[in-house]
Amino acid sequence: MALFEARGIHKRFGHQVVLERIDLGFESGQLSGIMGPNGAGKTTCFNVLTGQYKPDRGQVVLAGEDITGLAPNTIARKGIARSFQIMSLFDEYSALENLLIALPEVRERGFTMMNRLDSDSAAADRASTVLARVGLAGRERQRAGDLAYGERRALEIGVALAAEPRLLFLDEPTSGLSAKAIAGLAELVQGLKRDYSIVVIEHDMQFLFGLADTISVIHWGQVIASGAPEALRENKWVRRSMLGGKA
Amino acid sequence: MTAPILEVRGLVKRYARGLFRRRETFRLEADLTMHDSSIVGVMGPNGSGKTTLFELITGSNVPSAGSVRVMGRNIHDVKYAERDRLAIHYHQSYQVRHFRRTRPSFLMRPAGHDYPMVHLFDEPQFNTRDGYIGFMLDFFLRLKSEGRLVFVCLHPNEPYHLELMEEVCERFVFVLAGRVRESPDFRSLLREPDVRTYLGRLAPVHAA
Repeated sequence: MALFEARGIHKRFGHQVVLERIDLGFESGQLSGIMGPNGAGKTTCFNVLTGQYKPDRGQVVLAGEDITGLAPNTIARKGIARSFQIMSLFDEYSALENLLIALPEVRERGFTMMNRLDSDSAAADRASTVLARVGLAGRERQRAGDLAYGERRALEIGVALAAEPRLLFLDEPTSGLSAKAIAGLAELVQGLKRDYSIVVIEHDMQFLFGLADTISVIHWGQVIASGAPEALRENKWVRRSMLGGKA
Repeated sequence: MTAPILEVRGLVKRYARGLFRRRETFRLEADLTMHDSSIVGVMGPNGSGKTTLFELITGSNVPSAGSVRVMGRNIHDVKYAERDRLAIHYHQSYQVRHFRRTRPSFLMRPAGHDYPMVHLFDEPQFNTRDGYIGFMLDFFLRLKSEGRLVFVCLHPNEPYHLELMEEVCERFVFVLAGRVRESPDFRSLLREPDVRTYLGRLAPVHAA
């Protein structure tokens, strides 16, 4: 049984059907990719899977449990973490503080403990470990707002990892990054693959081809193709695009 | 006998201008019958009536005369909210689901299907640089293998547009000045003088 499944998802906004009979399955220990051109419905799909939107029809199932329509925070507590296409960090806080706030034990203690974060050495150690994991060792005291864009992206992934998720969703992680930063991000995600089940939603085909175990292609709000990257890459028109569309 | 997937019979759409002396500005006429699942390539100049034809097939536009039957059901007698369960119009990236309401929906028939039997792709954004084209073509083939009818409307401005039309389409329709006509195969289509004029520099020399 897949760790996470979407079964027959349908989502409509007014006259616009954004998702139609979407079936997806993400296996434990794998990196699953969802890709598609702009406007294909990827982010809406992401929002339905992570509970931001309730589907009109269909089911979302995590480890056999139907989580369709549950609130995003309830879904998060069940072990789904997500990063956003548009970054959602606290720029005034340091990288370490952003991580600390995301730790489950700190969130449970709430506001009263916030002013004493630095004195909680166990939490600080854990946060530092996660920071190192995303390649930000030595940046603990730096304001999030002062980090380079690629580092901010890494920090956001760290924030999602702080909750020790069963499944990590990344929405368009290459968005706005330079080619060099994308290469760094690919290296980071490659490292995380060993320990986490990950779903990456991405329009950059090359990025996913290099990382994913399986890929589903979404267009017109539907899954128009799926399979291993090697199989998808065999498509004549995909090969042609890799040669700059000239073959 | 099983009803054809699509039956367009005596279809006419007239557009006229003028308050007292109505003057016809555009007229579309079509007769088409598609019994089996297939991928149909549609070409024609801008303003020739391709999109109007698609709107009439999906029931988002009201005909002046004639009928459109999908799986034996008159699309204009099907409840508005269910018409996209029979035929669906994809305009580039988006799906067109606006219907001009002329009768109460509760007096109309259900679609009888859960997923569209006819898919009409109106100038899908094919781009050789991103590779998605290949997945789109695979999707058309999958829809056909599921017993559905697929229309792909292209306005060729690159040689590869003709290449992919030849690769996946089995039937061909050319629309010119409101007249809809079928060609038996791709070679015959490319031999037609109107089509060659329309294609201009893209018209293959060997097909003449």
